[in-house]
Amino acid sequence: MDIFETNDYTFHVANATRSKRNTQITLKLTSMIDMFTILLVFLLKSYSAEGEIMSVSPDLKLPESTAQKSPQTASIVTVTEDLILMDGSEVAKVSDVMRSSVNLIPRLMNDLKRKRQLSEQVRAISTSDIGFSGKISIQADRELPYIVIKKIIYTCGQVGFNDIMLAVTKPD
Amino acid sequence: MNLKKSIGRERRIKDVDVNIIPVMNIFLLLIPFLLLTAAFVRLAIVEISLPTLGKKRTNQVQEKPENLVGILLSIKEKGFQLKSPGFKFKPVNKINNQYNYDKIIEQLKQIKTRHSHAEDIFIAPESEVKYDIIIKIMDRCREIGFPNVTLAG
Repeated sequence: MDIFETNDYTFHVANATRSKRNTQITLKLTSMIDMFTILLVFLLKSYSAEGEIMSVSPDLKLPESTAQKSPQTASIVTVTEDLILMDGSEVAKVSDVMRSSVNLIPRLMNDLKRKRQLSEQVRAISTSDIGFSGKISIQADRELPYIVIKKIIYTCGQVGFNDIMLAVTKPD
Repeated sequence: MNLKKSIGRERRIKDVDVNIIPVMNIFLLLIPFLLLTAAFVRLAIVEISLPTLGKKRTNQVQEKPENLVGILLSIKEKGFQLKSPGFKFKPVNKINNQYNYDKIIEQLKQIKTRHSHAEDIFIAPESEVKYDIIIKIMDRCREIGFPNVTLAG
């Protein structure tokens, strides 16, 4: 009954057939620890204490930038290659916006106005310093032509969102 | 990790293994924790502000009008064109269909050496210019020392 007489990770297995002596089988943990150490270093490198304020859908390719400022909470206008979304709901098609002769995007403006009214109402009833800040983040695909961005920024400016934060990714 | 010792007369070989089980335990706890907090897409923001009507901004401008140096950087299909009072710059055309960033940086540095206090720059891209190019040029401007970028239509 000395099969599982173990001290930690060493198994003594009785090798009855050949010899009466016990053979020692040791688990090779060294390589596993090597792997863990490498994994640990990699994960520590990508450690972030801030948590995710903004999440970006994987098919949206943001431009790379050397900017170091960290994101802040704000409403998000997302611009993919075909759609413009305001906090996740569609407000316009990129192709329509490009074709239109005016700078204003009506549905985006309506949504932004509603957002502004809501935050002003919150300010009216709350004592703390939350309320309309005029901040808005824009996540736009790197391949978009400037005219689309311009019209969105123009629309934001018309409603009073003057602090525009363009989301970018940091290079590795 | 076998420390072989011969003890006294016996000449017995004793295996002393370092106990790595606690280390493994720490690893097994740390790895899921770090996996949860890892951010694989590292985001940042580039701030631009639009000129506001009335109140806040006008005071700032009146305080230090000497800081205002009009610098206009146009981004066109063909390349860049930098304009500033007192300077005459040649247009920086694309080379092999690539924007020539080095040349435009050189020109911007010339302005920076003469007006070291200048921090504002206007960027006027054409409609078809890609967003990526605009962000890239804004990066370059920030690095040279023009952090206040304004986009013009």
